[in-house]
Amino acid sequence: MSARTTVGRAGALGSQVSLGVWFVLPLIPILLWATARSWTFPRTLPEEWGFAGAADALADGAASAFVSSLILGLVTAALATPAGAMAAYALAFGRIRHHRRISLLLLAPVFVPPFVIVMGANVALLRLHVPPSVGLALVLMVTAIPYTTFIMRSAFASYDTRIEEDARTLGASPGHVLLHIRIPMLSRAITASAFLAFLVGWSDYVITLLIGGGAFVTVPIRVAAAASGTGNEALVAALSVAAAAPPLLLLLTLNMMSRHRTSSPRETAEPSAFTPSSPVIGARI
Amino acid sequence: MRRPVLLLLPAAIPVVLVLGATVVLGLAQSLGLMPVAGNTEFGVDAYRAVFASGDLWSSLIVSVAVATVATAIALVVGLATALAVRATRVGGRMLAALAASTIPIPHIIGAAAIGLLLADSGWLPRLLGMDDGSWPQLVAGPWWGAVVLEYAWKESAFVALVVVSSMAADADEISDTAAVLGAGRLARLRYIMLPLAAPALITAGAISFIYALGSFEVPWLLGRAYPESVSVLAYRLFTSTDLAVRPQALAVAMITVGLCLAVGVAALGLLRRRSVLT
Repeated sequence: MSARTTVGRAGALGSQVSLGVWFVLPLIPILLWATARSWTFPRTLPEEWGFAGAADALADGAASAFVSSLILGLVTAALATPAGAMAAYALAFGRIRHHRRISLLLLAPVFVPPFVIVMGANVALLRLHVPPSVGLALVLMVTAIPYTTFIMRSAFASYDTRIEEDARTLGASPGHVLLHIRIPMLSRAITASAFLAFLVGWSDYVITLLIGGGAFVTVPIRVAAAASGTGNEALVAALSVAAAAPPLLLLLTLNMMSRHRTSSPRETAEPSAFTPSSPVIGARI
Repeated sequence: MRRPVLLLLPAAIPVVLVLGATVVLGLAQSLGLMPVAGNTEFGVDAYRAVFASGDLWSSLIVSVAVATVATAIALVVGLATALAVRATRVGGRMLAALAASTIPIPHIIGAAAIGLLLADSGWLPRLLGMDDGSWPQLVAGPWWGAVVLEYAWKESAFVALVVVSSMAADADEISDTAAVLGAGRLARLRYIMLPLAAPALITAGAISFIYALGSFEVPWLLGRAYPESVSVLAYRLFTSTDLAVRPQALAVAMITVGLCLAVGVAALGLLRRRSVLT
């Protein structure tokens, strides 16, 4: 018995380590290049350490790209999170007719590749003289709505409305219930949903490129230009760190916050950004 | 809630407008209506042209093959990760954290990272001492290795998280009971874990496949100049200085979206047969 358990343990550890390597390996060269000053082929490690890439990136306009990405992420989250939450609430409790079809409609943007949306819809945006920034926000919102709707939908599935009814019986107004009961109780799901919507705007490449019409030069656009062009690996790596670090830090912060709050007794089983309970999370991101 | 339908509108109106415009105007443009320059006649000329040139066939073969192989790897690695996460407490948690940390990384960054890892002068050939030209051409190579691995890398973490979060909490108990009753490792995987994970695998697999089929930036950065993926082919036609080929770009886009919808419908059908969706 114990021999078998030891073998099983060793096997589990072995598979955990090799799978860990699979997930980490592609990130190592980025970290090495981002902290290299000179690194010639075929050396395994840089000869001199430094931040040559970061200096190049700053000279290349990385700071304004960072701000553009941030704006796109925040705007997408600000638009798609409330829209998704309201739709999910109506679908969960509203006794909507054609409930299933509407759910599928709100999921549909996942099935349409972004480049197709751009090519089909761009002509309408141009002929209606929609400003590029408005068109960009609209299309990014649409690609984020499946994630926000379905996270909130699964959160409402385990949401106990009896607390709201109790509060109403005791005289709370609908607005009071929304602000002091529903939003606080669903805060983890709302955070996860806003995080994913932020990621849609922050990570996007092809929609920003074609609908933004050059007005929005984001970090992903800088990364694409650097990676396809110059052969300056240190620049690519520094820009990649600038694109990957903020969402990673955000994920870490949210995860620590939600773990901190899990001790609260009234917490319902809601999805966090770390453990998606909706099957649609992360696909496009 | 007096008017629940009103609550649907902030999400439903943008989706209907944008997807409606995409499909209606996309089809119209591909059929020669709404020309950007000159006069084109209504008809299926653009479709005929993209099929006749042979570009579309080779692009479809490449895109479907890349998406299939990448999704297959992502499903196997993702399921293995989900099982390994459940195997032990500390190691499982660390593995889950590593897998989750790749989720918020944008695909274009993933593509740049895979490029720095697998190119001829990348880190892996340096690490393995294969700096003498014996390293296979994975970036922009004939087998699309870097593109496949980028999708497989990103989507395996996605598959793992979907499987971990959707599998019933008592899966381990059922598996343990089966073990006590004499089921071996393979039998438990085949008759307990796989059926329990199947709905999550179908959902995550379909989403990964559709993403890999329609993504632009990864094959654009890591792929080969010819044949192109369907997305790169459509993009090249769409941004061509020859505006007369614009309907062909839309024809490629419409064929791609048709394929994506077919995969989505097939996945929904599979799920419904398992009575997961009611």
